[in-house]
Amino acid sequence: MNAVRLPGFLARVPRSHLVAGVFLLAALLYPVVNPWSPYTQGVALLMFLLAIQAVSWNIISGYAGYTSLGHSMFLGLGSYTVAIIALHTGVNPLWIAALGGITAVVVAVLAGFVVLRTRGHAFVIITIALLLAAQILAVNLRPLTKGSDGITLELPFWSKDFQNIPFYYVFLLILVLTVLFSGWIKRTKFGTGLIAIREDEGKAAAIGVNTTRFKVLAYAASSFFIGVAGGVYAYFITFLNPLGAFAILGSVMIVLSALVGGRGTLYGPLVGAFIVQFINEEATVFGGGTGTRVLIMGVLLVLTVLFLPAGLLPVVQAAWRRRHPEKVEFTDQTGALGRAGGALTRDRALDELQTAAAADSLVAGEPLLEIKGASKRFGGLVAVDDTDLTVRKGTITALIGPNGSGKTTLFNLVTGGMQADSGQIWFEGRRIDRMPPWKRGHLGLGRTFQVTRLFKEMSVLQNVVAPLPDGRWRTMFADAVSGDEAVRARELLDVVGLGRFAGQRAGDLSYGQQKLVELAQVLMLEPKLILLDEPAGGVNPSLLGRLTEVIRELNARGITFLVVEHNIPMVLELCDPVVVFSRGRPIAEGEPAEIRNDPVVLDAYLGDDWRPPAAQASAAERPELSTTDRG
Amino acid sequence: MAQLVQALVLGILIGGVYALMASGLTLIFGVMRIINIAQGAFLILVATVTWWLWRETGIDPIIASVITTPMMFAFGWVLYRTVVSRIRGQSASMSVLLTFGIALVIEGILNVTSGNKFRSATPGYFEQSFTVGSIHLPKPQVYGFLAAVVVLAGLYLVLTRTWTGRAIRAVSQNPSAAALVGVSATGTAALAFALGTASAGVGGSILSVLYPFFPASHYDWISRLLGIVVLGGMGSLPGALVGALVLGLAETLTATYGSLRWSTLVFYLVIMVVLLVRPQGLFGARLREDGVTA
Repeated sequence: MNAVRLPGFLARVPRSHLVAGVFLLAALLYPVVNPWSPYTQGVALLMFLLAIQAVSWNIISGYAGYTSLGHSMFLGLGSYTVAIIALHTGVNPLWIAALGGITAVVVAVLAGFVVLRTRGHAFVIITIALLLAAQILAVNLRPLTKGSDGITLELPFWSKDFQNIPFYYVFLLILVLTVLFSGWIKRTKFGTGLIAIREDEGKAAAIGVNTTRFKVLAYAASSFFIGVAGGVYAYFITFLNPLGAFAILGSVMIVLSALVGGRGTLYGPLVGAFIVQFINEEATVFGGGTGTRVLIMGVLLVLTVLFLPAGLLPVVQAAWRRRHPEKVEFTDQTGALGRAGGALTRDRALDELQTAAAADSLVAGEPLLEIKGASKRFGGLVAVDDTDLTVRKGTITALIGPNGSGKTTLFNLVTGGMQADSGQIWFEGRRIDRMPPWKRGHLGLGRTFQVTRLFKEMSVLQNVVAPLPDGRWRTMFADAVSGDEAVRARELLDVVGLGRFAGQRAGDLSYGQQKLVELAQVLMLEPKLILLDEPAGGVNPSLLGRLTEVIRELNARGITFLVVEHNIPMVLELCDPVVVFSRGRPIAEGEPAEIRNDPVVLDAYLGDDWRPPAAQASAAERPELSTTDRG
Repeated sequence: MAQLVQALVLGILIGGVYALMASGLTLIFGVMRIINIAQGAFLILVATVTWWLWRETGIDPIIASVITTPMMFAFGWVLYRTVVSRIRGQSASMSVLLTFGIALVIEGILNVTSGNKFRSATPGYFEQSFTVGSIHLPKPQVYGFLAAVVVLAGLYLVLTRTWTGRAIRAVSQNPSAAALVGVSATGTAALAFALGTASAGVGGSILSVLYPFFPASHYDWISRLLGIVVLGGMGSLPGALVGALVLGLAETLTATYGSLRWSTLVFYLVIMVVLLVRPQGLFGARLREDGVTA
């Protein structure tokens, strides 16, 4: 329901971009229309500066979820770089402002490489430490920075009549570039990967996201334009000292801006920056010193975290959506096949998967995955005990065994979620047990999880676009919203029959549907081997039928499966061979018929009340929920 | 030689005080997985209150911790119940932002009420030293160290010998299992937060004598404490002890043989090197859940 009808091409542009465009136009025209208002221009200019920083901050702390409390450091680094060079060479700071950005990126990459290799809390600590260390360095490196005395720069070269209008436009230009940059990142697979890292970093690594590279790059990307702006800022204030350049209050305002506006959204930090800078300005006008402003910002930060954690923009958007609900695309229950051309694209996707799965020298029946003497202990508990296991190409190999027998741990060793204490793992003739998880994903090793781990805040389509089949930069910066990648994801959703749910939030799907989406996600990796961890757990019988059908279809196209499952009828019907796992090691392997009658297996796993084979035959035809189902 | 011994002894004295200050931070992290950025601000708050008590009543600043410690315990408990507990279950970054906000509020209040200037409590023994052979031990450092050791020992006893202490350790190891055996996670967390805050009661009083401070000093302090905790391993009490001693020694040695200007930078250098070489710290273990959740 559109209240305002927009002409032609404008109607296709998202509303938020239109609003932003209107504001940009107003900002561009303002100094022309009203040139004699230096105060307002000065305030607007500082708003632009804060917005540049908040939008940049959002790349590492909003998209990727790694909070930086010391981001104003990059402004100081940019300022000092440009000021020092200008002082020694006499070049005008404006022409070399970009060098400030380069210094910022170099520092971000070095620091990022130190702290971002690991997960968790180290990053936030290092960001505070870096800011304060930069302050101390600026004070102590007197020959370079003139210490606490500070550096004074020449005044702008233009006539006083132009006031600060040139600065106004330079900051506005940098802001526009920053927003475009951030928006572009959000559209690429790089951006999708960053959001995946925020939602579930372990899962992101399992679908081929090189988390270290992504995070370091995001940190660097979040520093560049701040450094450039810092160079311009030095020229604007013409005086630099350590406490002013590396101001902690500056960092606070950056964080607060992004939080108030909505971290993780494109325009939220921009909106927030205007609000926060406005409050800051009012506080100064009404006589508040630094102390008062720190108090105000602190109170705002606490209140925002407690009562508006999502930020203004997402809250407003949610309210808008409630009042203007979107029409739900409804097709009949056959789903994919009911979609125009669905059957066709589905076949094409399957063919592509077949080509990818066949891209190796192996023939069906040769060992694809070989586990040799792998062990894993947790303290005194031996979860996997000197295990040997071979999965042959083209098979659907089952791994069954009682709870706690080490099956999931074995999966983690194979996909790289955990490191084996000893032993080797080979995939396609390559040793993989020391590779990071994403590299194994790039080789064609995919897995689903016992309890699905979709990125719940993303749409179903984004979930499927997120995986990276290889480590090339081209793949990383491919468009994820439209273009080939999105088309492919849509096709893969058709393969599992969920094409019509593409636009839904992944967390809203039923559990069984989530399992199918997770399978589609793995298919994006162009896998050769898929490890399924209890695919049937918690899935209703009709969806289970769909699932086994899809597995068979994919297997027919050359994809190998290793399946952990407690639903014995399904295993006996679908898989060959079946490996029985007990107490951290395989105790039997063979065709379903053999396993069904193996007394060792019956004793160790199935128990005494397992029905005799005669009664089995009819049960096997009709899959039923397993007795040990834990879904 | 005497200079070296002097530096080593001073380093240990300072390290003891650092250990006390860092214990609160590591305790709160261990139980709640919250990096309490406000811990530095708590120290400066107490230092200011101590300074004020000393000036108004003449009470010895270190002995004033008898007043400031219960005050901070109550403050911590109320703060947890009214503010911090509201974000339980939210992402870790929210708790960091919240405690950062609390630190700013405290800094702002101190700045507005008591002004933005350097202070220091200077009791009669402020410039006196004990002399052992050729080594001079400043009395404030010695008294501060003794107070810190007594409080740390007390904290250790509380954590190991009382039901409350066992509950705190149980919750820090496995919150859901602790809940199953009847330990309230929220109640225990409030206690742990209050204990962690109370340790700043003693630490801040000692600080008021040993170091000049002003409202924004808390950044400097929180970075030192984070350095110690990162070095020792987040959440490990013995780790905090060892980390504090190492950094105390590193600081005095740099000040003695290098220059005072660079001594604070040692902390940041240590943080970087530790994170590069051994991200989990000296005493931190890599847990099963750190690897993967399946």
